[in-house]
Formats: sequence, C-alpha cells, structure tokens
Amino acid sequence: MMGGTALMAWSVALPLIGAVLSLLVGRAGVRLVAGVASVATLIASSLVAWEVSTQGVLRQQLGGWGAPLGIEWRADGLAALMLLTIAVVGPLISVHALDHLGDREDREFLPLWLFIWCALNALVLSADAFNLYVTLELTTLGAVSLIVVRRDLPGLDAGLRYLLFALPGSLCYLLGIAFLYGAYATLDVGMLAQRVQSGPVTWVAAGLVTVGLCLKTPLFPLHVWLPPTYTGAPTPVTALLSALISKGSFYVLLRLWLEVFAPVLDAEVGQLLGLLGAVAVLWGSVLALSQTQLKRVVAYSSVAQIGYMFLVFPMATSGARAGVIYLVVSHAAAKASMFVAVGNIHQAVGITELGGVQGLAYRMPFTFLAMALGGISLIGIPPSGGFIAKWLLLNESIGTQQWWWALVLLGGSLLAAAYVFRILRGSFLPLPPGVTVRSIPLGNELAPLALALIALLLGLVPWFPLDLLAVGASR
Amino acid sequence: MDVLLDGVLALCLPLLAWLVLRTESLSQAVVLFVAFGLLSALGWARLEAPDIALVESAVGTGLTGALLMHTLSWTEETPPDIRARGRRRPWALLAVAASTLMLGWAVLALPADSPGLGPLVEARREESGVKHPVTAVLLNFRGYDTLLEIAVLLVAALGARAVNPRSERPTPDAGDDPLTGELFRMMMPALLLVAGYLVWVGDHGPGGAFQAGAILAGGGVVALLTMRMGPPRLSSWQVRWALLTGPMLFIGVAVAPLFTGRRLLELPRPYAGTLIFVVELALTVTIAMVLLMFFPGTRPPRAGAEGEP
Repeated sequence: MMGGTALMAWSVALPLIGAVLSLLVGRAGVRLVAGVASVATLIASSLVAWEVSTQGVLRQQLGGWGAPLGIEWRADGLAALMLLTIAVVGPLISVHALDHLGDREDREFLPLWLFIWCALNALVLSADAFNLYVTLELTTLGAVSLIVVRRDLPGLDAGLRYLLFALPGSLCYLLGIAFLYGAYATLDVGMLAQRVQSGPVTWVAAGLVTVGLCLKTPLFPLHVWLPPTYTGAPTPVTALLSALISKGSFYVLLRLWLEVFAPVLDAEVGQLLGLLGAVAVLWGSVLALSQTQLKRVVAYSSVAQIGYMFLVFPMATSGARAGVIYLVVSHAAAKASMFVAVGNIHQAVGITELGGVQGLAYRMPFTFLAMALGGISLIGIPPSGGFIAKWLLLNESIGTQQWWWALVLLGGSLLAAAYVFRILRGSFLPLPPGVTVRSIPLGNELAPLALALIALLLGLVPWFPLDLLAVGASR
Repeated sequence: MDVLLDGVLALCLPLLAWLVLRTESLSQAVVLFVAFGLLSALGWARLEAPDIALVESAVGTGLTGALLMHTLSWTEETPPDIRARGRRRPWALLAVAASTLMLGWAVLALPADSPGLGPLVEARREESGVKHPVTAVLLNFRGYDTLLEIAVLLVAALGARAVNPRSERPTPDAGDDPLTGELFRMMMPALLLVAGYLVWVGDHGPGGAFQAGAILAGGGVVALLTMRMGPPRLSSWQVRWALLTGPMLFIGVAVAPLFTGRRLLELPRPYAGTLIFVVELALTVTIAMVLLMFFPGTRPPRAGAEGEP
C-alpha cells in the first residue's frame, strides 16, 4: 500500500506528531500518546530498513522539488541501520526513564524524547548539509531541555555546560556549510561531493565542520564538558546522550568526511583525527580507571569509545567504515545498558561511589548481568557487537598497513577490561552491614538486560547488520 | 554616500562588539548590545537582505534586548564587575587573530560572482504559490527545514520552562499606572495591525510569520512587564492550543500528500499560496507564544528572596 519513500516520511513525521499531541493532551494522556507514537515509529523505521535491505537505496525529494532547489532524503544501509538502532535503543531507555524520574519529569521527558527521536531520524535520512544543521540544532536543544528536566542544580550546571559547548559546535558547522554554499552553490551532499575541489575554501570549510562536530560528539581534547555533563544529567538522559545523541553528530561527520571531504584533503588530516581518537582511547580509559564515582567511570569510558570511532578516518576503507558503524551500534546498546544499570544502582542504594556496588550482584541479578554483558561488549570479548567491530577494525589496520592502530585497539581493550572488572568485582563482595537495598520495579531491571542482550545478539548474528550496511556503500 | 554609510557601519560594528565585551556594568553591556543589533540590522539592509534585517531588529535586538534587560531585574542590584573576573589572556587574542586570518583567507578565495541558487529560485518561483522569493524558499522549496525549525522553537520553549523562576502573580487592576496603561492601550492595536500586515505582505515582499510573531510577542512582553498577565504556562489549555495549533496545521499540510501517493510537503499547486498563508498565520501565534514563554514574570519583592528555580 505504501512505498518505501512514504515510510521514510512517516518515520520522521510520526514522532513529531506524537510529540506535539502529547504536549497538547496535558498531563493525563502523555504516556498513552507517547506509547502509541513510539510503537508506530518503531514499525515505520523497521519497514524502512526492510525496504532498504530488499530494494536498495531509497530516495525522496521533499516537496517534489529535488536538489539543489529542495531537500532530498537518502536512505542507504547505514541510514537504515541507524534508524533501527534509534528505534530499539531509545524506547528501552525511555521505558526505564518512566519509573526512574518523578511524575512531573516523566510528563516532560516523553515529548522531549519524541522531538529528539524525530530529529535523529531526520538527521539520519537527510542528504542536505543545511538541513543536517537544523536536525543537529533540534537534537542539541532537545538534549539540553532533557538534561535540565529535574530543575536541580547539578542538572542545570550540566545543561549549561552542554549548551556552551554544543552551540558553538553548531555555529562552526553552520559557518563551514556557508562557505561550501558560497563556493559550490548547492547544499545537497551528493552534489557537493561532485563539485568540491581542493582549495582554501574547502580546507577552511572542512576544518570548521570537523571542529564543530567534534565539539558535539566530543573528540579529545574537546571532551572536557562530557564527564561533568554525563554525571550531572539524570541517568536516563545520560544514557540517551551517550547512546544516541552523541552518535548523531558523529554520523554527520562520517557522512560528510567520507563522501565529500576525504578525496580533496591530504591523508595526514585523517591521520591527525585518528591520532586524536587514539589519545582519547587511552586517556579516557586511564581516567575511567582512576574514578571513584560509578557514573564517572562509565562516562569516561564513553570518551574512550568515541575515540575508537575516529580510527575510521585514517583507514577510510569500506571495511573500516563497517567496523566503526558496528561499533556505533553496539556501543549504543551496551553503553545505554550500562548507564541504565547505573541508574538502577543509584535508585536502589542511593550511593554514587564506586564502593556502593558492593554486594549488589546478589540483590539485583538482572542489573548486574546487564552490566557484565554490556561490559563484555565494551571490552570486545566474543560474542558481542564490540568484538565484531574491533575485529573488523583490527583487520583493516593490518590490511592498510597501519599496524599502530591495532596497538591502540588492543591497549584500549585491556584498559576497558580493567575498569569493567573493577565494577563487577565489587558487586560480588558480601553486602556491607547497614546498607538497605530498595527494591526497584521489574521493568527497570529488565530494560538494561534487554539492551545488553542486543549488544550480545549483534555478536551472534552479525551478518544481518553487515549485509544491510553493504547496501549503497560507496566504496 | 553609500560608501560613507558602509564605512561607518563597518567601523562601528566591531567597535560596538568590542565595547560590549569590555564594558564594566552589565546594564551598559545590554544597552550597547541593543545598539550593536540595530546597526547590524542596518548592515543586513545594506546587503539587500531586508528579511534578515527585519528579523534581526525584531528578534535579535528588540526581544533579546528586552529579555536581557528583564533578566537584569532578576539579578542582584549591583551586578559584579564582569571585567574583574576575566584576566587578559594573550593566547585567546592569538587564537582570535589566527581564526580571523583563516576565515579572511577563505572569504577572499570565494568566487566573487557566485549567484548561488538565486536564479533557480527565481525561475521556479511561479510554481511556489507566492511571489516573494524568501517566502517561497522558507515555506515551499525548503518548507521541511521550517517545519523542523518550528519543532526547535517548541523544544526551546520547553527548555526555558525549566530555568524560568517562579514570579509574582499578575495584578490586572494595578496596571492603571497612567503612563504604562495609556501606552499599552495605544500600542496594542498598532502592534496587531503591524503583525497582521507582516504576515500578509510575506506573500510578495519582506515579511512573514517570524517577523509578525516577534512583533506580536513584543505586545505580550509589555503586557507581562506591566503585570497585566502572568507568564504563559503549559498547564493552561488556552496556552497549549495557541502554541500547538500552528505546528499541528503545518504537520497536517506536510503529511496530507502522503495519503494521495505524493511526497511529504508536496503542496497541491493551485492551493499552495492559500495553504502557505494559513500556515503562516497560525505559526505567527505559535512563534509569538514561544518567544513570550522565554520571559519570566516580575520578580517577587526582596523579602521573599526565593529567586532560585
């Protein structure tokens, strides 16, 4: 009845409709409206992925104008996989948020999450450089509003920090796009890729776009906002930030870099990005090891995991691209599961110190099973999505004769093992006397487990995502 | 003459920007910022971008200036010397100089005569349903961007709610201060007329929902600051409908073509002009409401001392 192109439109329109309606109905119906909208969006996103996997790349000219006058959408395998990831990981986090946040926060969380969902789906599909800016803006402001949803001081502090870094990031990106438009008179990514030439305008534009997106993602050394923001934000919001929102800006960078900038820039620039990524892996992991707060351990681990993603730029092969996207997807599931588990632990014992986990493995088995499975994927032990990703990257680093990245991958894995085991070890010690463990709803215990199982499943059946990724891959 | 005007603008803009950063008192900085905004609006007008000039003066200068001023009334009576806290940092100057040089290098390398997409917009303007090229781009050729921008505005209003402090209850009868009362009565009809005109004129000249919404919000701000009404709250259904009718209408227009096998936002050509006008009219109210929601009410008297959210 409905073609793939209409389904793409619904995957963006449905969360938007849900967000607006859930604001309109007032306090009574928010959950119902958001629930219906989430299920509908999940169906639309899955059908888009199905269409892409069976019929290849989908395109749509919005408004029927076509580039360069209008905006175009392009859904290849990469976009379809991202749509699926958002549609599965996001709702699981929001299910957890419902019981974790208070009643008022609940009502404010759901519309904002739906706006972000709309923005991320729009971002993934867009093939227009300015439209990408609009989607980044919507994501950023939605994230800030979510971070401050509790209206407490740590949340406001975290929200302001995020805003002060993400906004200049957006403006840098916008300025870069303005240069590209000034020089090549188009905003369509495909047309830019054909017209772009090596020269000062392109170099400066590439620099501005890259710096802007690295601020948002964030890449070392622009990551200084991440640990305090991730720690101060409410835990379900941190999970969304780390699992999905930071991936949005990385996705844009990956797209623009591989499709537009890479052919006209020297290979050294890619090496530089890879080097910063490598430093992020080691620096983030070492700092994760030295933290005393549980949530900060997981937050610094995100700095490291984002570092791996930048290893795609020096290798720039289709294998490295697949590996990095596999890392993006499995990190989304694994890290969301770990943050949600951290939220459960805070809720159960009210202790934010790393020592607070002591003895909890016996009381909250599902939460710690999730933590362990998520950790396995972060480290890259088979079978897990993280293992497949690192295996692909390892192969490429050998294949492109850049063996030094292999050392980074292995060293980072060892350090990750150390900080994950540091959390798990404590949980198996006997419960200290005098600690009361509040029981938490079963749904909250199962949400992180479901997320962790997805990370595991990505390691068991890698062919489906990998086949999907191959659809429309340029090289 | 033009050269003289441009020269004065080009000199004054960086000078004012520098003064905004260097001035000692926050209230002076706000006044200078408003002056900067007005001059940059003139600059946009000189660059033959009247639409941007309108928005810059209404939103960037008018409403933002009012918001900053109003925020000052919530801060301590004597704002701390902002200059004392920032030490001189030579590396900051170096970074600014380096990025200025880099940007200048790229600007000089830009093709001087690139028409951009202007000719293409001109060629297909007839098909958009409106005569003004900017409106054609914003509401038709790239209407999808505008749809998402409306979502950005809604999200910003939701975020502002979290940082806006609790304010004094409105006292409609206390607004009979002869000066503000008379001013309000004289101003409101004129503001409504200007807002309505700006929506209508957007069809064939500079204007449209954003400018009109900003003007309308200006009236709301005056009502808010003279305590004629409280800050709009989402808990009231009137506020929700005023805020959301525009977005719902726009989304409806966007998805309706999907049911007849066409593409998102593909407006039926004979009705495009009418649809754009109706959507803009509804969005004007939305935009005004969003801008108004950024403003907290009046600060409660000192005794309460509970300014924290």
